[in-house]
Amino acid sequence: MPAAPQSQPRLQVEGISKSFPGVRALQNVEMHLQQGEVLSVVGENGAGKSTLMKILAGVQRQDSGSVRVDGKTVSFASVSDAMDAGIALIHQELNLADNLTIGANIFLGREPRRLGLIDERAIHRESTRFLKRIGLSLDPGTLVQDLTTGQQQMVEIAKALSIDARVLIMDEPTSSLSAAESERLFDVIRDLRSQGVSIVYISHRLAEVQELSDRVTVLRDGELAGHLAEDQITHGNLVRLMVGRDVSRVFSRTPFPAGKVAVEVRGLRTSTWPAHELNFAVHSGEIVGIAGLVGAGRTEVLRTLFGADAPLSGEIRIRGQKLTVTSPVDAIESGIALVPEDRKQQGVVLDMTIRENISLASIHRTARSGFMNFAAERRQSADMCEQLRVKAPADTIRTGNLSGGNQQKVVLGKWLSMKPHLLLLDEPTRGIDIGAKQEIYQLMDRLAAEGIAILFVSSELEEIMGLSDRVIIMHEGCITGELSRDQLTEQAIMTLATRQASAANVQN
Amino acid sequence: MRGKILGILSVLILLCLFLSMATAEHWYEPLSSKFLKLDNIMNLLSRLSLYGILGIGVAFVIITGGIDLSIGSLVCLSGVLLSILLNVNYEAESTFAVKQITATQQLIETTAAAGEIPSDSIVRFTGGIGSGVVFTIAEEVSPGVLRVEELPPRDEPEGELTLAVPVRSFDVETLTAEISETAAKAGDQLQIFLPNGAVSVQTIVSVSADSGSLRLQLERDPGKKYHTGSYAAVLRRDQFMPIPLAVLCVIAITAAVGLTHGLLITRLKLQPFVVTLCGLLMYRGISRWLTGDNPAGFGELQEVLGPVASGRLPVLLRGDEVLFGIPIPFFLLLGLATVASVFLTRTIWGRYLLALGRSEEAARFSGINTQRVTILAYVICSVMAGISGMLFAIEFSSISPSSFGNSFELYAIAAAVLGGCSLRGGEGSIPGVVIGTAVMMVLYNLIMLLRIPQSLEYTIIGAVILLGVLGDELVRRAAAGQRLRQDRNRN
Repeated sequence: MPAAPQSQPRLQVEGISKSFPGVRALQNVEMHLQQGEVLSVVGENGAGKSTLMKILAGVQRQDSGSVRVDGKTVSFASVSDAMDAGIALIHQELNLADNLTIGANIFLGREPRRLGLIDERAIHRESTRFLKRIGLSLDPGTLVQDLTTGQQQMVEIAKALSIDARVLIMDEPTSSLSAAESERLFDVIRDLRSQGVSIVYISHRLAEVQELSDRVTVLRDGELAGHLAEDQITHGNLVRLMVGRDVSRVFSRTPFPAGKVAVEVRGLRTSTWPAHELNFAVHSGEIVGIAGLVGAGRTEVLRTLFGADAPLSGEIRIRGQKLTVTSPVDAIESGIALVPEDRKQQGVVLDMTIRENISLASIHRTARSGFMNFAAERRQSADMCEQLRVKAPADTIRTGNLSGGNQQKVVLGKWLSMKPHLLLLDEPTRGIDIGAKQEIYQLMDRLAAEGIAILFVSSELEEIMGLSDRVIIMHEGCITGELSRDQLTEQAIMTLATRQASAANVQN
Repeated sequence: MRGKILGILSVLILLCLFLSMATAEHWYEPLSSKFLKLDNIMNLLSRLSLYGILGIGVAFVIITGGIDLSIGSLVCLSGVLLSILLNVNYEAESTFAVKQITATQQLIETTAAAGEIPSDSIVRFTGGIGSGVVFTIAEEVSPGVLRVEELPPRDEPEGELTLAVPVRSFDVETLTAEISETAAKAGDQLQIFLPNGAVSVQTIVSVSADSGSLRLQLERDPGKKYHTGSYAAVLRRDQFMPIPLAVLCVIAITAAVGLTHGLLITRLKLQPFVVTLCGLLMYRGISRWLTGDNPAGFGELQEVLGPVASGRLPVLLRGDEVLFGIPIPFFLLLGLATVASVFLTRTIWGRYLLALGRSEEAARFSGINTQRVTILAYVICSVMAGISGMLFAIEFSSISPSSFGNSFELYAIAAAVLGGCSLRGGEGSIPGVVIGTAVMMVLYNLIMLLRIPQSLEYTIIGAVILLGVLGDELVRRAAAGQRLRQDRNRN
């Protein structure tokens, strides 16, 4: 296998920066990729991995910085530009037309033609060749919907190879694969590497990263945290670079005075993970964090408590009283509030004003026989904006015009004006700048001190460790452990959160 | 929103100005134009009222991000239903089916029970060739089998007997008939059997009892020959339902239709387009089936109902002639528009409606029962179509079920869109919709007055709506661009 000269990497990224309204997603990031190399890019959620990959695949454009392919500076205006340069992105959610055959998918948009008609025989022949190259013995005439998720992933790879991709970007390819399918994928990846294809591998599963990578690039908060050469790739090094920052400075958690049980959950089964029963409790004035990998079933727990998803079975008690929640209406009536993960879709109505958003969940309380009490609405909104320090010229401006942090404060304002007993927060600081983050941490601390029970999900370890009185760790739908504040270490959380995936590595 | 309303209002004013000048003899004398003729304005207001009610209804659905295509058919269905529920029938008090008349034996076999047709009573036979013969009952031979005094002209296999009473006298001056006592009330009809076999039917104006006989004042003179030997039977007036009840029924039925739409759309997650498209087909079909595809109307009730739709509140009079009057439906429109506008802007349900139209998920996550509010919007829309449908039917006085209300839904939707409702949902105002409807009506008027071939009607209306939406989109983009620049500057 001919190794390219080290002086000229296949892909070279320098000084890339990208901002979105209210958020700095990437800042001066550098990365390079050799021919026939597997480079893993890791980082917490929101660290900027996806943005970087989207820039490389031509989905988004950088604000500044350069991308060079084989030494030549390129500028991608579209995905097809990137493809022409030999870069293919395989999305987390597969992009296949499942009502078409494997062959039709592989050549979608580039169908070989004869006499103006699609040349089915050429498609069959060529598809078979690409499938064989990744060791898949499937008939290209099979419909994609009849394939397993793992096989569909392979079709995506075959499709990338068919455009002669020399750089393959895989975004969380194993997130929906079984263990056996994942192993199969790793074999293909190694095989492609030996054929000279360069692979950028993105994963939360550190065990996979350790197993596969030739090198690792770690991102944190949109910045480069460091590169690791093959012999430096250890669990400890990865976590240290990912979490990195001095934790104690940002967080201030006042010790929690033991309160009564605010919510108790027994034998709860969510529709996504029907096989596992969940049991836990949260006390008044306590902050409990739920840690785990993306897809571990944390969001489902919050959604089920909030009535957004129906539980399959189980019992929820709020302040000792049994509760049946079938919709958010019931949950809110019982004093449960949720700050959802998808702020723009579920948290706020972007096209409404700050005031209208803050009052949305509580106007029916001040209304008189259905008629709005505008004075009460105004007072409440002004009060919340002041309390939460929402930065806006007036509370009558469109919520969509605010930065992420201020939008999140509006969501919190909406819930605080209905005085909840239990506050659920799903990734409360995602996409929020560090200043607003700190304000939200302080607010959570204060609310707990006022006796509200708080249950929150976060993929940022430092957040979990800095805020929680107690941490529940989940893995693939079940609770794998519970740690009290004095037991909290990154190592302990990571071990429980990756229990099965990294079973082989936990010991060392 | 305020900008949008001002925008469409200025379009309306410009259109009116243009039309005033274009239809005047000299453009500088717009006040003398055909457009500003009082009759034309009255008609415009009247049409605006009926279409406006439709537009307000559909605006609610559009604000949820949905659509209702069934409005036109529902207009037709409610007109047809009102006509059926108000159906008026006149039926003889007592009639009996005849099984057999045997002429030689002077026997009539009937389905009457024993004693139902007493001896000495007078009956009139209808059916077959011997129609119109009057018999006096001699005796009841066995239950239902009667022997008569007169000799029947021939055998009859079937027919009907109507119990009649002799007309004792008739005062030509006062049009008052005197008959022996029987049940009758004002509004019923008196069927008078003249000796020559002819039948005259007259409406009874008033009834007074007078020692064993009834004095009936009739509407018209039944003819000279009634005097000697005429018999009469009272036809009882039977209106299927009183008017208020019929109107309530139609409203209830249309509400049920809206409820069904809403349930299918929210609970079963069917697409509004598909659900209401099926409605469009079904309600049209039901209307045609109910009427047997015959024109429907209100018969004698048209006089009572008419003023509701075509009445004018006089403003300008010359003698007894009304020069200008405000159409009664216009007041109805103002009333409904006010209620709708207050509902949308001042109640929590209006707020919920706007919130869920912009982001159903965020509204649901804020504890709003979005399904219930969405269903409510469909109910409002269907009921408004029902109200407007009844008014249209009364205004047209005779409706043909296969074409009445055709494509009204498109007018309503177009008016709502012109008036600032976004089909994306979450946006809209009632005054805007009313003004939007007015623009549509003036456009239609323009085609008429300028003698533009009517075949171009849809083309022009379509083009104007397209321009309106285009203008709105350009304004929206400009605003969005400005927002983006502000964001950039802040960062």
